[in-house]
Amino acid sequence: MKREYFLRGVPLKKVAAVIVAAGFLSAMLLSVVGAGPPRDAGDGETIFQQKCASCHTIGGGTLVGPDLQGVTSLRDVDWLTRWLAAPDKMLADGDPIATALLQEFNNIPMPNLGLTDAEVADLIAYMQAQAPAEQAPEDAGSAAAQPEPQPEPVAAAPEGYVDFGSKLFVGELRLENGGPACISCHSIDTIRGMGGGTLGPNLTHVYNRYGEAGLTAALKSLPFPTMQGVFADRPLTEGEAADLKVFLAQTDLTTQQPVNATGFVALGVIGAIVFMGLSQLIWKKRLNGVRKPLVGR
Amino acid sequence: MTFAQLLFGVFPYVAIILAVVGTFWRYWSDKFSYSSLSSQFLETKQLFWGSVPWHYGILVVLTGHLVAFLFPRSILGWNGVPIRLYILEGLALIFGILAVVGLALLIVRRLNNPRLWKVTSTMDVVLLLVLLAQVIAGVWTAIFYRWGSSWFAAFATPYLWSILKFQPDIALVSNMPWMVQTHIVGGFVLLALLPFTRLVHLLSFPYEYMWRPPQVVIWYRRSRLGGS
Repeated sequence: MKREYFLRGVPLKKVAAVIVAAGFLSAMLLSVVGAGPPRDAGDGETIFQQKCASCHTIGGGTLVGPDLQGVTSLRDVDWLTRWLAAPDKMLADGDPIATALLQEFNNIPMPNLGLTDAEVADLIAYMQAQAPAEQAPEDAGSAAAQPEPQPEPVAAAPEGYVDFGSKLFVGELRLENGGPACISCHSIDTIRGMGGGTLGPNLTHVYNRYGEAGLTAALKSLPFPTMQGVFADRPLTEGEAADLKVFLAQTDLTTQQPVNATGFVALGVIGAIVFMGLSQLIWKKRLNGVRKPLVGR
Repeated sequence: MTFAQLLFGVFPYVAIILAVVGTFWRYWSDKFSYSSLSSQFLETKQLFWGSVPWHYGILVVLTGHLVAFLFPRSILGWNGVPIRLYILEGLALIFGILAVVGLALLIVRRLNNPRLWKVTSTMDVVLLLVLLAQVIAGVWTAIFYRWGSSWFAAFATPYLWSILKFQPDIALVSNMPWMVQTHIVGGFVLLALLPFTRLVHLLSFPYEYMWRPPQVVIWYRRSRLGGS
């Protein structure tokens, strides 16, 4: 049997279609109106500092990823464009250069940074402009000899404390700029109870994978696509980054096994069964009807 | 416009507009349908095992989402001590599982009973299926993408506010696992369905029962009738 709710002269389907169409149109309008100020495009250097500099330098040596000095002559523009736009896709497609790079850099894949086509073009233009001028291929070895301004060396980082790092990780100390504690999404094998989060990767041995310089750089700007949404505006302070780094250096040494979800799921299932048992106890007279107890008085 | 922009930047507005316009429209055009057609007279034993866990489960879980939306920093503060995080997540999972189990039982009950099937509309079926997908995606997220109560406060709350401020920040959600994205989109689908299904009983539930003074119903007592 079909019940028709909204018949008042106009068939339901027609009215619904009009509402949906109106909804779509106004939503489009709203999303255009509310799109906010356009991003600071057209400035490859800004993009590089925001999105690339935590893992790459231009002439400053290898961090998490390769030094990008002269990368525009090493790779052709088409390859670079595709790589910058969707490195995850190229790795999945088994691009030979990408695969070789992945192996060379400790199997840490370059994340998809969600760059627009215009941003990719700006970045490539910036990297081309940074390439050593008029350098013939046979001069490659002399790049270091040029009086090229070297990027400033990493400033003396503040000393970190394992204890603070540990408390920052689980949230007992709040992050100064308001970011959520690491445990929200990451786990460390030394955390007992029901463990840490699993939205992001387990960070127990991240120190080993990224290395000292790489981890320092990564903690500085947390350049991972998912994290950027939150941490772009709420970066770690230098002190927090240093504390977390020494904490992660220490957890790298552990041999403890991670906690799995069994306890958590068991708690949920047992709790649900207890609740249903309780509801049966509380309302066990529900099927008796009202007449019997009345007659009994 | 990318697919993600459509899903997370445009569709929420479609859903909100449908919910608001549809709610008023139904109220004006069909006021007395503002309820969930009760089927308790047709079948009551199985109803108890479906309806009670479903409603307690979904109410607690929904309230949790609302609190995390309104007071994200309080949630993060509470979760600052792991044992408190585990208590909150454990309770949320218990009520989430209750909602899934209750809803599944309600669906089975409706399918197995020809009398109930007679009073089941197409939109009832649609709603039940969307709700089931939604609560399963939610429990899945709770189990496999821990700890949702903390990262909800960090990701979902600013995302939802960004929608209300007409500046949808889809970067917050566009890299989430697809099950989480399903749950987000599912929430807006349900919002859009609200005025067109029995879900409207959310709006007509007699909430004043929660704060009105108790009314004591007294039957004539035998002794009074007997006059002694």
